[in-house]
Amino acid sequence: MIFLRRTAPLVLAFVVGILGIGVFYVPHETAQDLEKNLSLWLRIVFAFSFFLGLVSLMNLHWSRIQQRGGGWGYSLVVYVSFGIMFLFVVYNDGDGPFAPQAAAGGYQWMFLNVHVPCGATMFSILAFFIASAAYRTFRARSPEAAILLVSAVIVMLGRVPIGAFISDLIPTAAQWLMAVPNLAAKRGILLGVSLGVIATSLRIIFGIERAYLGGGEE
Amino acid sequence: MNRDTFLFLGFVGLFAVVNIVLLSTGTVTADWTGLGIIVAAGLTLCLYTFLYKDNLLFKFAEHVYVGVAAAYIFGQVWYPTLYGEIIEPMTGSEQGASQDTWWLLIPTLLGCLMLTRFSARIGWLSRIAFAFVVGLGAGFAIPRTISSYIINQIEPTLGALSLTVDGLNLFIILVGVVTVLIYFFFSVEHTGVVGRASKVGIWFLMISFGASFGYTIMARLSLLIGRVTFLFRDWLGLNIAQ
Amino acid sequence: MEKLLNIDRRIIFIFVFLGVSIPLLVEELEFPVKPTQNVRAVHEMLETAAQSDGGGLVLFSFDYGPSAQPELQPMALSLLRHCFSRGIKVVAICLMPDAPGLAEQALTTAAGEYDREVGSDYVFMGYKPGFASVLINMGQDFKSAFPKDRWGTPTEELPVTRHVDSLKDFDAVIDLAAGATPEMWIAYGQEKFKFPLGVGCTAVMAPDLFPFLQSGQMTGLIGGLAGAAEYEALIKTPGTATIGMRPQSVTHLVLILFILLGNVMYFLTRRRAAGSTGATA
Repeated sequence: MIFLRRTAPLVLAFVVGILGIGVFYVPHETAQDLEKNLSLWLRIVFAFSFFLGLVSLMNLHWSRIQQRGGGWGYSLVVYVSFGIMFLFVVYNDGDGPFAPQAAAGGYQWMFLNVHVPCGATMFSILAFFIASAAYRTFRARSPEAAILLVSAVIVMLGRVPIGAFISDLIPTAAQWLMAVPNLAAKRGILLGVSLGVIATSLRIIFGIERAYLGGGEE
Repeated sequence: MNRDTFLFLGFVGLFAVVNIVLLSTGTVTADWTGLGIIVAAGLTLCLYTFLYKDNLLFKFAEHVYVGVAAAYIFGQVWYPTLYGEIIEPMTGSEQGASQDTWWLLIPTLLGCLMLTRFSARIGWLSRIAFAFVVGLGAGFAIPRTISSYIINQIEPTLGALSLTVDGLNLFIILVGVVTVLIYFFFSVEHTGVVGRASKVGIWFLMISFGASFGYTIMARLSLLIGRVTFLFRDWLGLNIAQ
Repeated sequence: MEKLLNIDRRIIFIFVFLGVSIPLLVEELEFPVKPTQNVRAVHEMLETAAQSDGGGLVLFSFDYGPSAQPELQPMALSLLRHCFSRGIKVVAICLMPDAPGLAEQALTTAAGEYDREVGSDYVFMGYKPGFASVLINMGQDFKSAFPKDRWGTPTEELPVTRHVDSLKDFDAVIDLAAGATPEMWIAYGQEKFKFPLGVGCTAVMAPDLFPFLQSGQMTGLIGGLAGAAEYEALIKTPGTATIGMRPQSVTHLVLILFILLGNVMYFLTRRRAAGSTGATA
């Protein structure tokens, strides 16, 4: 049983990992076909992973409704709104769920008039909080903080038309800051992160890193 | 009733009055499009009430968003992939299930195995699916990371230096990349030459973080401008000059 | 001074709101938008694509959702208007599940302005999950990655995609991104097939992508609403992004003044505290 629970997944991860590396370097048609099919399978398995999140979300809100915990009414709102949208999804403008997706209908209406405004507004609220935080906490307490502050001010002025209106030097300075010192720092971070990705990927393939298998009985 | 209750009831009442005026003047049309604009404006304003304090209206709009988003994404997964690439080819609605389509059973089975994670008894079966996804993802990532993010990034950093503006910039980039990498190398104590180089790396990082901060402010303000433009132009019908 | 340093944040919120609202309504405030080199590079990339055999075929990857819609939708519209005005054929895909509705809206709006028809001038393939695996799949065999378009028409039957076999058949690729997709496009697509890649992204992401510009892995970069406004200026079709530059400029100034004021008061308070400590010592 331990073979099935622990060894088999690790062996599978090793085999597909080595295949994934190998098909990149082998130009033969068979290898390229294998790469195509593996990526197709990966796409399809990804689609199922969505349901993990969906079931977790609905479980969370269902348990709140059952236990009549604090704010359980809002969990009911989640179920009702999910239900209404789900009905539109399944109705598919009259074609039903076993037909290609319709071009218009309640589904698109809900998306444009509920999903889009809510999503856009949620993140726009941050504009207010970032302004408040910047006023209260953005202090040039040290030379490094002063460099950060000056750099932020130059970029904020340089990227909007008012910077060029004040002086042509401001957008030029902002562009230089982005294209030279910022580039250098980001490249350094990118190199470091990439080395980390390679190391972690190798650890996964060789079975040293097993956290992705989840806990539970070995 | 306390002050907050008065405020929120007043807010809801004001919203209703404004919409009645907009509908009666024809600024918002009395059809599905108009109703959509009113719903969108209402949800937008409910979410913005959070700026006063956390409240019932905000929580209501937030939870509506969660429910609608979850169902929307279900639709995006069902139609193109689950129905379009698995059910329809395998049930042969057009050409009949061909030999090729039976291969689809393998990723479908792997996907179903993933869902066993919710069962305490057979949840271990999901490890097979996760091993496939994570192992293959790691295998695909390694050669591409080496090529795109390491070799193709080191090469332009080591470009030919010259006594021109471009050459000077290239030198600054080289110094910046090396000193930032030295800063992140924590296995060696940051003293002496390493300490000084690490200090220079910190300066480059501060410039970068300042630039990122400036761009982040720009991004969030852009989102706010977008919402305010919608409220002024599409809902209230005000003239937004171009 | 302590009161000013600890002012109720809702007062700052009001200033931000006024900084955004007043410039939107005041016609007299006008700031010319000057396109920068990185945005011009995307424009030139599409102009070059338009001159290729067959009039050009460009792949648009819509990888953003409602949270980035105010920044990226104006960008998408400008790029599509440019393509349709030059007769470039467009293939649109989505790698984010939130994107199809917005992509559809942008495509139908821009196509309607230039009388372009779905199937013969542009196609919309819809969303596929998997991110990098979609790119690998497309690179090997486009028709296996997208066997049908969003509305169920087989890819082989669409005039635009009939002869598309893989990513190398595109004259250019544009990624409109709110997440990590530009890096994926570089590693999983551009690295092997060497197509010109232009990226439109949120302003949050733009600083991270400059290394790819210098290395040539990315041809051009349109960053945030300001980038979208620059592109609107290039195609001489001002839109929502150009309108947004007025409140953007004013609010940036307001925020900078707040930050400077906060720092001035902080240093004055510190000096006063140091002075009183010295006096008592």
